[in-house]
Amino acid sequence: MPLLTLIVFLPLVGVAAMALLPKDRPELPRLVALGVALADLALVGVLVAGYDVGGGMQFVERHAWVPEAGIQYFLGVDGISLPLLALSALLVVLAVLASWNISERPAFYFAMMLLLAVGMNGVFVAFDFVLFYVFWELVLVPMYFMIGIWGGPRREYAAIKFFLYTLFGSVFMLVGILALYLHPQGGTFDMIALTQAGLPADFQWWVFAAFFLGFAVKVPIFPFHTWLPDAHVEAPTAGSVLLAGILLKMGTYGFVRVSLPILPDAAETWAWFVALLGVISILYGAAVAFAQTDLKKLVAYSSVSHMGFVMLGIAAGTPEGLNGAVAIMFAHGVITGMLFLLVGMVYERTHTRMIAEVSGLSKQTPVAAGMLAFASFASLGLPGLAGFPGEFLSLVGAWRSELIAPGYVIAAAIGVLLAAAYMLWMVQRVVLGESSASVAKIPDLSRLEIGILVPLVIITVGMGVYWSSLLRYVDPAVTTLLAGMGAR
Amino acid sequence: MLSGYWIFAPEVIIVVGAIIALFGDLLPGRDRTAAYVGAAIAALAAVLAATGGTAGPMIFGQVEPDEIARFARTGIAALTAVWALWVAGRGMPDERRRDAVALALFAAGGGMLLTMAEDLIIMYIALELSTMPAYVLMGYRRRDVPGLEGALKYFLLAMLTSIIMLYGMSFLYGISGSTAFVELTLEGSGMLGVLGVMLTLVGLFAKMSAAPFHYWAPDAYAGAPAVSVAFVSTVPKIAGIAVMARLLHAVASDVGGLVTIMAVVAAASMLLGNLAALPQSDLRRLMAYSGVAHTGYLFMALAPDTAAGYGAAVFYTIAYAVPSMAIMLVAAEEGAGLADVGKLAARRPLVAWSMVVWLVSLIGIPPLAGFFGKLYVFGSALNAGLVWLVVLGVLTSVVSAGYYFRVVREMFFGEEPAGGVSLERAPAASFALAVMAVATVAIGIGASPLLAALGVVLG
Repeated sequence: MPLLTLIVFLPLVGVAAMALLPKDRPELPRLVALGVALADLALVGVLVAGYDVGGGMQFVERHAWVPEAGIQYFLGVDGISLPLLALSALLVVLAVLASWNISERPAFYFAMMLLLAVGMNGVFVAFDFVLFYVFWELVLVPMYFMIGIWGGPRREYAAIKFFLYTLFGSVFMLVGILALYLHPQGGTFDMIALTQAGLPADFQWWVFAAFFLGFAVKVPIFPFHTWLPDAHVEAPTAGSVLLAGILLKMGTYGFVRVSLPILPDAAETWAWFVALLGVISILYGAAVAFAQTDLKKLVAYSSVSHMGFVMLGIAAGTPEGLNGAVAIMFAHGVITGMLFLLVGMVYERTHTRMIAEVSGLSKQTPVAAGMLAFASFASLGLPGLAGFPGEFLSLVGAWRSELIAPGYVIAAAIGVLLAAAYMLWMVQRVVLGESSASVAKIPDLSRLEIGILVPLVIITVGMGVYWSSLLRYVDPAVTTLLAGMGAR
Repeated sequence: MLSGYWIFAPEVIIVVGAIIALFGDLLPGRDRTAAYVGAAIAALAAVLAATGGTAGPMIFGQVEPDEIARFARTGIAALTAVWALWVAGRGMPDERRRDAVALALFAAGGGMLLTMAEDLIIMYIALELSTMPAYVLMGYRRRDVPGLEGALKYFLLAMLTSIIMLYGMSFLYGISGSTAFVELTLEGSGMLGVLGVMLTLVGLFAKMSAAPFHYWAPDAYAGAPAVSVAFVSTVPKIAGIAVMARLLHAVASDVGGLVTIMAVVAAASMLLGNLAALPQSDLRRLMAYSGVAHTGYLFMALAPDTAAGYGAAVFYTIAYAVPSMAIMLVAAEEGAGLADVGKLAARRPLVAWSMVVWLVSLIGIPPLAGFFGKLYVFGSALNAGLVWLVVLGVLTSVVSAGYYFRVVREMFFGEEPAGGVSLERAPAASFALAVMAVATVAIGIGASPLLAALGVVLG
């Protein structure tokens, strides 16, 4: 059974269904979307159950697509893909639930969300560069519409900015893909075969630069991050969750999947540069998060900071660093997803996201306040919760790496402190303190809302306490990847 | 002996079809029926062109119906059929439709002949045959004075460039003593040969609306009915690119610096077209500049003088022509102002979504036709070492997303146009649009057989 094909393209069935649903039944689209998303999650469950931890790349599907150009339909899953695919399937389910009360054109909305799911699932399992690029670009149009139609006041600007920035990056990636194919030692779009190509170092530099632009905009790394605050703030809650939870990870996944194994010499040469931008992102994101008066912007900038830790771990090129990078990718998706969901829930009640106007939640809405405090603690990297292992490992990995000067690691560690500071300060103002006027009469979280958050809470605690629940999948894949790099 | 000439059946049939359409008002249903007959005959010609096979040089080496020609002929006939179907269903503004269909079929016949031309004289005659009917189409509304002005501009400039081209051809003939492409020997002819090639090419540059010879296009298009622009801006381009591939291949090895010239013209077209399209608020002007830009991408593939590049260019013309024609036909239905498609998503969701498919394909986003076109174009240029041109190409294609998405924005977030008239139902026209939407997706996902037919191999 082509399990990966089913997982990737099942949401497309939902998209088609949306077009056929009767217009006078506005409650149908969300039910269909939920059904499709749950079915997809169940398929991912089957995949995880059947996954052999030590078995390398699995569930491979490989067919010729455009043989004239050596383009294949090549899907597979390994320990780096698997957590991200699972995260994608889970967050889509939660995003559907978080959009339960969308009233404006629900069929269109859920169609876009499911189309987005196709792209997100596909990116993590595609091992042919053209196919990878197809899925990579597939997320642009649905996200454009999600922000542009259901977003905040400046939605149109944010939508086109997101679109153009990411397109700018990805066209350079396309040039890199073509360059790899046309190089006499490359000659293929096969991402696995290319890891054994042994490309000359000076050629690798140029291709690395092209891919760097594509991935860095998506992550985003400072100074390519300027689209992110706009997109995050204007996007509807579910859009922010998927944007932060999955779309940003596509960029860091690209670094892990492409830049390191296919361009190892360039990755080594430029490790200091990637680490430098990573550290700047950590500190800059944290500093700007400090200054925010808008809760959603604070979470958005904290994402820039956290993705900096991912980049640091990747630049390190050590087992700890890469394990840490993948662990942050997963954990950040869960935790930031939680934060964006909570911000959305508060906003639905108060119609404001200004920190000053939503203070003192704990008296009026203890459950929401507790959840927000929990998510904030997880986000700042409290040991015992999911945010900690990744950041810890990425710092250790960077420290042990010969490629990265200790100064970078020290600066990044200061970023951990900053994260604690801005998060706790936010908790202090929003959770504690006197209730402001706008939160005086708001109801606490509904059962549905709690139900959306609980799975994320369980994962946050589970992964924080028992690291190897995630890392037992990641570590073998990282070992294979690094062994492949070292072999040449 | 004569049996080999069956290969020209599509051209014969399409010209006969044009004559039938012209005098078809004697059939029951009159004007409309005649137009439908024209569309059906064009479709038949497309099928015959696709299945008719290929051959080496024929008729004393004046034409060569090879793979590239077969592909381009099929594309021309098929697009003409779809266009004629739309016209038959929706009609021309204030005028009879069968004449328009007949003109388009004549132009298509000329264009199909042009794709096979291996001789300067044949090339010139075929080019004129394919553009003459276009003059009439551009000024199709007899009582529309600004439209006639646009048509006159188009006519005068097309004539001027034809004459320049003819002048250049006279040099080529004078140098090599033959008009056949294969016998053009320009080695050692020095500046005279370069001059001859350049003058000949300038004529083609202008007809392809390549910068800096593109000035006629926006004005001429903005004055003409959108439905005429839909045909004139797309179908002749397929034929033009095919014959340019032939001509360049014949002379490129003799004339140094052609690669540079083509690359510079490509760069200028991409830059000028994409930047000038940004502020346009008339869809015809916007698509005129977009056409200039896409000519740049096409020339990028022609520049390196490789078989892969020529194949990529011809593939790209189809990937360009289908969505461009479709967008102009929607403009013909809704009105050519950008504001006229305001809130189209609410009024006609399927058409709006098809528009998204076409526009996104023109940007070059996978898995649509335009992406594979760009993949091969960029690939062939990169393989020839034209890295700077490829970088410019990808950058300008990001710019193009800016203006194509202005249309998307208008359709989904814009205002309902004031005083909009409700459109009559025209199933044939809607079917024609649906065919083009499906084709834009199918040419992308199913690129393989088409590329195999073209003999395109990446790398």
